Amino acid sequence: MSVLKVQNLSHTYGGNTPFYSDAVSNVSFTVEQGEMIGIIGHTGSGKSTLVQHLNGILKPTEGEIFIDEENIWERPKEIRKIRSKVGLVFQYPEYQLFEETVFADIAFGPKNMGLMGDELKKRVLDTCRLIGVKDEYLEKSPFDLSGGEKRRVAIAGVMAMRPKIIVFDEPTAGLDPKGRQDIIKIINDYRTAYNATVIIISHSMEDMAVMADKLIVMSKGEVVMLDKTEKVFAQGDRLRSIGLNVPIVTRVFDALRQKGISVPDDVFTVERAVEALKQIKAGDRNA
Amino acid sequence: MLKDITFGQYFDSKSVIHKADPRIKIVLLVFVIVFIFLSKNFWGLGLSALFILITMLVSKIPLKMYFKNLKAILPILIFTSIINIFYGEGDVLLSIWKFEITLGGLERAGFMALRIMLLIIASSTLTYATTPNDLTDAIESLLSPLRFIGLKTAVHTLAMMMTIALRFIPTLVEEAEKIMNAQKARGADLESGNLKEKIKALIPILIPLLFSAVRRAAELADAMECRCYNSGEGKTRMKQLKLHFRDFSITLITLIFGAGVILLNIFM
Repeated sequence: MSVLKVQNLSHTYGGNTPFYSDAVSNVSFTVEQGEMIGIIGHTGSGKSTLVQHLNGILKPTEGEIFIDEENIWERPKEIRKIRSKVGLVFQYPEYQLFEETVFADIAFGPKNMGLMGDELKKRVLDTCRLIGVKDEYLEKSPFDLSGGEKRRVAIAGVMAMRPKIIVFDEPTAGLDPKGRQDIIKIINDYRTAYNATVIIISHSMEDMAVMADKLIVMSKGEVVMLDKTEKVFAQGDRLRSIGLNVPIVTRVFDALRQKGISVPDDVFTVERAVEALKQIKAGDRNA
Repeated sequence: MLKDITFGQYFDSKSVIHKADPRIKIVLLVFVIVFIFLSKNFWGLGLSALFILITMLVSKIPLKMYFKNLKAILPILIFTSIINIFYGEGDVLLSIWKFEITLGGLERAGFMALRIMLLIIASSTLTYATTPNDLTDAIESLLSPLRFIGLKTAVHTLAMMMTIALRFIPTLVEEAEKIMNAQKARGADLESGNLKEKIKALIPILIPLLFSAVRRAAELADAMECRCYNSGEGKTRMKQLKLHFRDFSITLITLIFGAGVILLNIFM
């Protein structure tokens, strides 16, 4: 049973005004429980528009979305219930912080779901522990935190709703390497702790190679590739033709191969690269 | 809902109204507004409406764009009409408790509604057919006599502030929409509830919006200083405003219509 199914989804912006444009056209895919899906594509390829459909922020012009085999627009009045099942973390989520304290801000989502009292408190504290926000931060104003901390708190605000599917729109944009690592770790921790399904939009092929099980490649509003991460990255030329690329390590290994050095062609992460190089070294010694 | 507000959105349909001198356009808009207010009867207002209809067609701006602006002020329009229905004299058509709907009231309500619509359309034509930059250049030029009373930099500063304000309306609308979506994704309920709950539901949107407006203002100020912006003496312009033949013709046509409205006021 698929947890999320998107069927022939199309979205047109601006109806019949002169600013009319097709943002997403005829997109279909299914996602299984616990999978980690990456969405990559050029700026303006319709990634953000696509994910805003998954929790009913946007209504499809055509097509359907099923969560747990249930059409989310069957009962439009209950669309808010979908939002606790599918969490959506927007780009630069720190700009949505508004409460006086970090605690209150993280509690905003679960409170909207109807949680109260001790249950609410426990939910917020559990989430803080998961993302590594220290207890003394809880009474601080979110506006006093550093950029990376704000981002973590904002993500916690969505995670506190315990969505079974959580969608991130460029979660690491504008962060330093340490901040990026932190965010990736939080996402992985949430996924393991709650067996959640994760969908991530990213421009970083390196992050995608490490994290995603499957990749959806979008170009001009359409899905052009949908496959296991290593199979997508094996088609470097096709990715380059739509303005994307493969991870840097893969490019290095491609260059080595062109120089006539025999290296494996399935290297997409730094870890795998180290492994491959060690093997070659061992092989040289044996020879 | 927010998308319906299109003030400050230039729509380039390259008509003669677009090309006209922005100073003339502002002065004529003021003149048109005055003669809409001077119309005392349906004849005068009808002539104003005819004039505005002609400018709408000449501007080549899609009628839908005008309707979008009208839709945004619909609540004001309905409110004014309803109030005015009860303030007429003449034959009573219907009476509810102490209130009486009269033929005069209906006429008055229609008159008021039409007048507001004309005002909005006339001002929309100016903002659709003039770029914000042209508008402020024109305002600066029109206010330049103030320099004789020692307000030279004040005029320029005011014009700059207006340019910036106009420029940032669409940006802030977009920002507000983003924040609304982000809070909706966190389960915020913006639609249902009573008035008090609805106002409370705005806090999660207004605070981040205010915060980002202040941040943008600070960033813009830094960026302007980095480019040595100053509002002082000796600034020259790349684009000089010049009056052309078409500006005189447009003025003449508008004046004729204005005179027509006054004549209709007197004789009808």
